[in-house]
Amino acid sequence: MTMNQPSPMSAPAGVPISPPQRKPRRKLPRNASLLIGLVLTALFLAIALISFFYLPSNPNIPVIRNRLLPAGTPGHWLGTDVLGRDIIAQLMVGARTSILVGAGGATFSLILGTIAGLAAAASGKITDEAISRGSDILLAIPGMVTALVLAATMGSGALTTILALTAFFTPSFTRVIRSAAMGVLNEDFITAAKLYGRGKIFVLARHVLPNIAGVMIVQFTLYFAAGILTEAGLSYLGVGVHRPSISWGLMLNEAQQQVGVSSPLAIWPGFAIVLMVLGLNLLGDGLRDVLDPKLARRAS
Amino acid sequence: MAIYVLRKLVFFLGAIFIASLAIFLLIRGAGGNVAAVVLGKGATPEAINALAHTYGLDQPLAVQYFDWVGNMLSGDLGRSFRTNERVSDLVTARLSVSIPLALSGLILGLLIAIPVGTYAARNVGTPSGAILALVSQIGVAVPVFWAGILLSLLFGVRLGWLPTGGWTDWSVSIWGAIRSLVLPVLSLGLIMAAVLIRYVRSAVLDVMNQDYLRTARAVGMTRTEALLKVGLRNASLPLVTIVGLQIAELIGGTVIIETVFSLPGLSRMMLANVAAREVIVVQSTVMLIIIFVIAVNLLVDLLYGILDPRVRSSR
Repeated sequence: MTMNQPSPMSAPAGVPISPPQRKPRRKLPRNASLLIGLVLTALFLAIALISFFYLPSNPNIPVIRNRLLPAGTPGHWLGTDVLGRDIIAQLMVGARTSILVGAGGATFSLILGTIAGLAAAASGKITDEAISRGSDILLAIPGMVTALVLAATMGSGALTTILALTAFFTPSFTRVIRSAAMGVLNEDFITAAKLYGRGKIFVLARHVLPNIAGVMIVQFTLYFAAGILTEAGLSYLGVGVHRPSISWGLMLNEAQQQVGVSSPLAIWPGFAIVLMVLGLNLLGDGLRDVLDPKLARRAS
Repeated sequence: MAIYVLRKLVFFLGAIFIASLAIFLLIRGAGGNVAAVVLGKGATPEAINALAHTYGLDQPLAVQYFDWVGNMLSGDLGRSFRTNERVSDLVTARLSVSIPLALSGLILGLLIAIPVGTYAARNVGTPSGAILALVSQIGVAVPVFWAGILLSLLFGVRLGWLPTGGWTDWSVSIWGAIRSLVLPVLSLGLIMAAVLIRYVRSAVLDVMNQDYLRTARAVGMTRTEALLKVGLRNASLPLVTIVGLQIAELIGGTVIIETVFSLPGLSRMMLANVAAREVIVVQSTVMLIIIFVIAVNLLVDLLYGILDPRVRSSR
């Protein structure tokens, strides 16, 4: 799919124009993924925002007479859990957690990865070797294991989860940023800037960063999605977020205790995760086609 | 080739050293008196000191680190504070659950992903190719534990064909053990497949556009023949890499799936020991897992060298 002609929007200012494309393939609605991704992501962002102002009921206070209401009950359209807490209210607060933790982890690792990646690309062979081998080693440590260890030593919670995600994602960001920056650093205009007497930092900030911004945005989106999945997994295991914070993973954990009693409880939070992650992944793929045609071709 | 292997071996050892340092500092650096936490409230200072002394926890961190590494090198992974069981025994007891689970999950994932990914690559742009791309896109977004919960709802609760969780040991009944592994392996394999399909598809697409494939067709091979005889070896390179990278992912998935189906595997042992602050157990188990992952990556690199002569000379 991603081998089609880039759309007319494919070269915004500051992004290097890709070499001519190979043979055009048949037209699929190529920006469909961008559109669907954008809609889904905006939807969840809106839900998370609304949850600060309006919730159908308190998602943490048990109301025993309302326990296990079926979906469609007026006032509790998706039903209630075993303690009578409204599912919609919990899902809304869960969106908040997912976005906070996912975006938090992606942001911190983006910052650290960009610093390390640029340093590796722009400095001498020894620094580059050290940073590259270092991230290779960190990549070999399973993220789930890192997160478990962190939770064991620091106690679990949203902040620990963000830290774990940062530790987990930074090496991959470093790699991607390094290779993108290397590509830009080989361009003629960089040589020109250097000849003009521009310092290393200036060149990186003024010329390299804007040219890899597309890659950064795409990677941010994809790791945002990965962060949501990991957070859900950790909270499901009981080493992520816990009440009074609510996470979709936590809801699934609680629901599984009652599988067989009320299976719909195990459906909704899962759907929320899938839709949000799918939305972000589609958005990332769509943005890649638009912002980063080179990478898009390689990925297809 | 010898230099290539040597270089990879040096990296392997260096990686293990750095990882061991990182793990040690992470776990011990968090501070707190380990012995006091292990013994809980109400422990006398004498008891705390005695435990700390027995396990060398009163030594400087550097000494503790070298003791730990030295012991590991001689095959002693340490003992649990509470039960005094050997960590190596704790680990091996769990492997009969975790290894079959992870390995079958990976194999199932590959068995699905290779044909489906190849099919998707050969049908790029057609409706069936687009549907496959969409399905794997959705599959990637499904958390592995949700897949597990849904499968156990369907096959365990609704249909009652398979247990929803729990473990029958191999020694009790081989059939029972297999039955308790079916749904976990299925969940793990399906999710792995969704991820792998995308890689297979792009690897095959890449190969299909190469000149050597056209040459193979020109000398009279059919499309399938050319793909199998010439394409497969070339496409296997990125695939081997991906499988290597997915090992870490696979272990993460296994951790969660063991919890979903209450399997007494390595990760549940880890979770329990994390909660109990059994630092030695956690530290050594984590280190074993990391050594395993790095070793798989070493094997992948070596395999890469065998599969592709260019790699040997260029690195």
